[in-house]
Amino acid sequence: MQLLWQILVNGVLLGGLYALMALGLVLVWGVLNIVNLAHGALIMLGAYACYYLFTGLGWDPFAALPVAMVLLFCLGYVIQRYVLNLIIRAPMFNTLLITFGFEVVITYLAQIAFSADFRTINPSYAGANFSFLGATVPLVRLLAFAVALALTLGLWLFLEHTRIGRAIRATAQNLIAARLYGVNPRHLYALTFGIGAALAGAAGTLYGVVSQINPYIGSGLTGKSFAIAIIGGLDKSIYVLAGGLFLGIVEAVTALYIGPTYTDVVSFGILVLVLIVRPTGLLGRTA
Amino acid sequence: MDDILEVRSLTKRFQGLLAIDHVSFALQRNEILGLIGPNGAGKTTMISLISGTLEPSEGEVIFEGVSIRRLPAYRRGRLGIARTFQVMRPFPDLTVLDNVAVGALFGATGHSQVLQDARERAQRWLEFVGLDRRAQQRAESLGGPDRKRLELAKALAMRPKVLLLDEVMAGLNHVEIEEVITVIKKVREQGISILVIEHVMKAIQSLSDRLLVLRNGEKIAEGRPQEVLSNEQVIAAYLGTKRHE
Amino acid sequence: MKFSTKLALAGVGIALLATVPWWGSAVLVQFGINALILATLAQSWNIIGGYTGYPSFGNSVFYGLGGYGVAIAMVQYGLPFPVGLAIGIGLAVGFAILLGLPVLRLRGHYFAIATLGLAEVMTAIVSNLEIAGRNVGLILPLVKGDVLFFELSLILLVVTTLAVMWISRSRFGFGLIAIRENEQAAAVMGVNTTLYKILAFALCSVFAAVAGGIHAYWITYLDPGSAFDVALNVKMIIMAVFGGPGTIFGPVLGAFVLSAISEILAAKVTSLASIFFGIVIVAAIVFMPRGFADLVRRFRQSGWRYFQENIRTYRV
Repeated sequence: MQLLWQILVNGVLLGGLYALMALGLVLVWGVLNIVNLAHGALIMLGAYACYYLFTGLGWDPFAALPVAMVLLFCLGYVIQRYVLNLIIRAPMFNTLLITFGFEVVITYLAQIAFSADFRTINPSYAGANFSFLGATVPLVRLLAFAVALALTLGLWLFLEHTRIGRAIRATAQNLIAARLYGVNPRHLYALTFGIGAALAGAAGTLYGVVSQINPYIGSGLTGKSFAIAIIGGLDKSIYVLAGGLFLGIVEAVTALYIGPTYTDVVSFGILVLVLIVRPTGLLGRTA
Repeated sequence: MDDILEVRSLTKRFQGLLAIDHVSFALQRNEILGLIGPNGAGKTTMISLISGTLEPSEGEVIFEGVSIRRLPAYRRGRLGIARTFQVMRPFPDLTVLDNVAVGALFGATGHSQVLQDARERAQRWLEFVGLDRRAQQRAESLGGPDRKRLELAKALAMRPKVLLLDEVMAGLNHVEIEEVITVIKKVREQGISILVIEHVMKAIQSLSDRLLVLRNGEKIAEGRPQEVLSNEQVIAAYLGTKRHE
Repeated sequence: MKFSTKLALAGVGIALLATVPWWGSAVLVQFGINALILATLAQSWNIIGGYTGYPSFGNSVFYGLGGYGVAIAMVQYGLPFPVGLAIGIGLAVGFAILLGLPVLRLRGHYFAIATLGLAEVMTAIVSNLEIAGRNVGLILPLVKGDVLFFELSLILLVVTTLAVMWISRSRFGFGLIAIRENEQAAAVMGVNTTLYKILAFALCSVFAAVAGGIHAYWITYLDPGSAFDVALNVKMIIMAVFGGPGTIFGPVLGAFVLSAISEILAAKVTSLASIFFGIVIVAAIVFMPRGFADLVRRFRQSGWRYFQENIRTYRV
C-alpha cells in the first residue's frame, strides 16, 4: 500500500512533465495543422541548452530554463517563418515528412556538436528529498512538476486573455478571423510555432534535470508526446494535462507491477487502443 | 402491382435529433416515385438509409421481399441498389471513363471482371448520358452539369434495379432540366425503378408517377401528384419556402 | 512515354543491374543492396499508401517481423533461410490481418498515427522477448558473398514491381484506387472496402517481410531498434511519394534517386552522412511536393518556374 502510494506520487510528478512535453506539439497541431515529427528533437535541444548553461556558466538549471525557452522560441520562429510557412497550405501529410527531415538534420547536428555521450544535469540539491504523507519526493522532481504546471497554466492564460493569444486561437478556426485581430498571418504562424518550440525547450530542461540525455532521445520523446496528446485529447490544454498525468501514473504502475521495460508497450498500446476506440481522446469531444 | 423496395417504420436518430420518424412507404416496380419536402426534411438521410451509407435506429428496409437492413453498402450495391450523391463525388484523379468503369466492375449481377470489358460498357453509358466527348478528361475538371451526368452514368453502369437520385437537377437551366427528365424516363424504360429527390417542382410533377412528401422526418403525404400537391398540409409545409418554378 | 517503351527500358535496366556485382566495387554492391531493399519497401508501401490511399507508418513492423522470423528460425531452431522467410511472411501477414481490421477503419492521419503507434509497440514488445534476444538482439550465421544478396534483392524488387503492375491493371487495383479517391462512393458502388483494404495491407506485408528477412541475413545482425526502425517508415514513404505514388515505377525511381543523391553528397563530406538525406527531404517537399512524376510532366510547360509555382500554391 505504501509502495503503491509512492508509485502514484512518482507517476503524478512524471505526468506533469509529460503534459508539458506534449503541450507544444498539441498547440502547433491544433492551430497550424502541423504534425511536428521534430518535436522531440526540440525537446532534446532545450535539454542541451540548459546543460551547457549549467556546466559552462554555472547557472542553476531552473534559472537557465527561461533562456532555453527563448533560444528555442527563436529557432522555432525562424523554422516556421522561413520554411514551414512555405508549405502550410499543402496537405498535412507533407508537414509530417518535412518535419521528419528536420528531425534528421537536428539530430545529426546535435550528435556532432555534443557527441553521443549520455549527460545529466546535476544541480547541488539533486539529492535532496522530502517526505509527503509517507512518500519520498525528490526536490528536483517536485520543482519540475511545479514548473510544468505553471507553464501549462501560463499557456492557457495566454491563449484566453491576451490579444495575441486570442488571435492564435482564432487562427485555429480560420485565417480570416485571425486577420481581424490585425496581426500578419505569417508572423502569427511563426509565433505559434515558436511558442510550441519554447514549451518543448522548457520540457527539455526539466527532462535533463530528472533523466539522462543524449542526441538520440528525440524520436522517443516525439512518440511519447504523441501518445499523451492523443490519449488526452487535442482540444484543450487541460486535456493534455490529464493525458500526461494519466500516462505518468500508468507508466509508474507498469514499471512496478510488470517491469520497467514494459512501459513503452503499455504507453503505445494504450495509444493504439484509444485511436481505435475513441480517436478524439479519452476526454475529447466525439467528432 | 409489385413492390421492389419497401421501407417499414424506418427511424434514424443522430445523438438526440430525430432525423427520420417511423416512415413507411413502398417503391413499385418500374415506377418513378418523387420524394419532396422542405430543406432538412430528411430526404437525403432517407436515401442514405436505403443505400446502406447510414444504419437505421429502428425499422426495416426490404428489397425484392428480402430484408437488407443488415447488409453493408457494398452488398446493396451488388444486389442492385444504386444512388447518386447530392454533393457530387467523382473519383477525382481518374478519367471520366474510368469513373464509370468502376460501376461496371463492381455493380450488380453480371459485373465485368475484366478492365477492358468494363471500359467498353462504361463508354456506352457515357453515350447514354451525353458525356462521351469527355471520356478521357479527368473527372475533377468537369463543370457542374457534367458532374451530374457523370454521377448518373456511374450509377447506371452498376446495372441497378433501383436507382436513387438525389437532386440531380439542382443548378441546371431549363434546357438541361428537360434533358435530365428525358434521360430519367429512358432509364425507366429500361426497367429500372426510380426514387427521385428534387426541389424543382415542375420537373418532379411531370416526371413522377407518385409523390412522397417528408417534413421534419415524417411522411405527411403520399399519392398521385395532383392529390399530394393540393393537400393542405403539404402546402403549409412549403409556405415560406415556396419555390418559383 | 508509352508503356511498352517503359517496360523495355525496365527490362534493360534489370539486365544491367543484374550484372553489377561482377564489375562493381564492393561499396557499389553494398549501396546497391541497400537501394534495392529500400526500393522494395517503397514499392510495398505504394500498395497500401499509393494505390489505396492509406498512409501506413507501420510497414517497418512487417520488415522487422520478416527479419525476426528469419533470425529466430535460424538462430534458435537451426532452420534454413527459406523456412525462416516463410515464418517471417506468416508473422507479417498475420499481423496485417489481425491489426489491420481495427486500424484500417481510421481515416487519413489517424491511421498514420495508429500505425506509428503499432510500430512503437512492436519495438517495445520484441525488446522484451527472450526468444528474440531482447534488447541485445540476435546474431545470424554468416554467409559470404554479397553477390547472392544483391541478386536476391533484385529478384525481390522485380517480383514486387510485377505485383504492383498487376494491381494497376486489375479489378482489384481499380477497387483500391476507388477507395483512395472516395471511399464512401466506392462502397455504394459495390466495392467491398474492408476486404480490399486488408488484402492490400497483407500483400504489402509480404514484400516488406521478405525484404526484412534478406536484410537481416545479409548484415547478420538484428536488434529491435534497427529491425523496427521507425525512421525507415518515413524513408520508404518519402521515396514512394517522390517517385510518384500510385504509379508502377515511381517508387523505384524515387528510391534509387534519393539514395544516390544522399550517398553522393555524403561521400563528399563524409562526416555528415545522414544529414543530407534530411536536407534533401526538406528541399524536395518545398520545391516539388508532388514528386518526380509531376515534375517531369509540368517542367515541360513551366520550366524553372515550376518550383516557384509550387511554393506559391502552398505558402501562407
